[in-house]
Amino acid sequence: MKKDILETKKGNFEITVTVNGELKELSVKNGEFLLDALRRHGWKGTKKGCDTGDCGSCTVILNGRAVLGCLVPAVAAHGGELTTIEGLGTVRDPHPLQEAFVEAGAVQCGFCIPGMILSSKALLDRAPRPTEAEIRKALDGNLCRCTGYVKQVEAVKNASARLAGGKRKRG
Amino acid sequence: MKNIKYYARPSSVKDALALLLDRKYKALALAGGTLVAKTLPDSVETYLDLKDLPLKGIKLQGGNLVIGAGATFDEIDRDRLCRGWAGGIVSAAAAKCSSQLIRNMATIGGNVARPHSFNIFPVVLLGLDARVRVQAKGGSRLLGLEELYAAAPLLRPGSNCLITEIVIPAATKKWKCEFVKLAKTDSSWESYVTLFFAAERRGKALSRARVAVGALSPRPFRAPRGGEGPAGRRGPRQGLRGRPRRRARRGLRLRGVGQPARPLRGRYLR
Repeated sequence: MKKDILETKKGNFEITVTVNGELKELSVKNGEFLLDALRRHGWKGTKKGCDTGDCGSCTVILNGRAVLGCLVPAVAAHGGELTTIEGLGTVRDPHPLQEAFVEAGAVQCGFCIPGMILSSKALLDRAPRPTEAEIRKALDGNLCRCTGYVKQVEAVKNASARLAGGKRKRG
Repeated sequence: MKNIKYYARPSSVKDALALLLDRKYKALALAGGTLVAKTLPDSVETYLDLKDLPLKGIKLQGGNLVIGAGATFDEIDRDRLCRGWAGGIVSAAAAKCSSQLIRNMATIGGNVARPHSFNIFPVVLLGLDARVRVQAKGGSRLLGLEELYAAAPLLRPGSNCLITEIVIPAATKKWKCEFVKLAKTDSSWESYVTLFFAAERRGKALSRARVAVGALSPRPFRAPRGGEGPAGRRGPRQGLRGRPRRRARRGLRLRGVGQPARPLRGRYLR
């Protein structure tokens, strides 16, 4: 039983977590949430919006599931596998989802986009050819204040077609 | 969460309960954490994470539908057994909870254990006569939802006991049910009212009609008079829309402590 218990040292938990494929040892404060811990350690692509679980801008993929970074205590990621937006692609080599969002004109102010893309990735990993209803359902927790939802849904459809090897539709 | 000193992630219910009952740790159990993580009392020193417990399965047992307390809303929404039970009401209700991101995290056990007035599952499970298996110091026992909430001062799931599974009786498998959530938006977790209506159809007549209501009081409640309206009346060909539903509305005259004095009809159910 004792081996299952982590104890704070000077108010910090020492956790081990795989972030974007790399094993990391992080020091997280007690009472700190994953969103704040990630941003403090330099993964600033994860955005802080409402901080109450309503807007979805802090979405990350933890152990294969899209979750809200602002509601997951940082210590709960111990031993887990985490994907943030930084793990998807780069400016030179973007992920097909990132490419599809740009091509469809789905990005306006951009604040919600990391969360949108990670929610979409979790969906496509589970259902490679989702219907429009499935896409809308998967993104219903990601709010866009610029209200660019139509283009975002279209971008996910295009990315799904591209990832499945089908023909791409221009946005 | 600022006073948290320990983080524990046990892999068995026995270990989890032992830690919960050990006064040294001052532990509180969290499953999805969506209702509790942001509002942990300062007195809590141990965050007891239940996600490694083997409580996620959804299965048939003795004809009953048994849902592990750790099953998330999303898993329940997509589960084949849940989709086929009582016209798919369990899955449909799970799909109405807040947003996909919350449904990925929140569990049915947590939803029952923290009976916020807006919670969806207590209403549905109350209507389906579900029972909850509670693991406490003296062993395990099955309690009805009303019993569980009535025992609140003694039994506090997550603090001194754990909910391990939800048992939905076999008799409800063929029920025709409807669940209505009235809220500002579909993804809004706060609802003005949640309403569960079920009935069994025998020949042309409806029997065992029942109504459960949530969001209007701190705990969900059954409205027996709401079930009297359609019971014994002729049922619709498909679903429960139309006359039986209107009769149920007409029968929703609720009186008592914490309940509206005037009939619900016309106030909330237009």
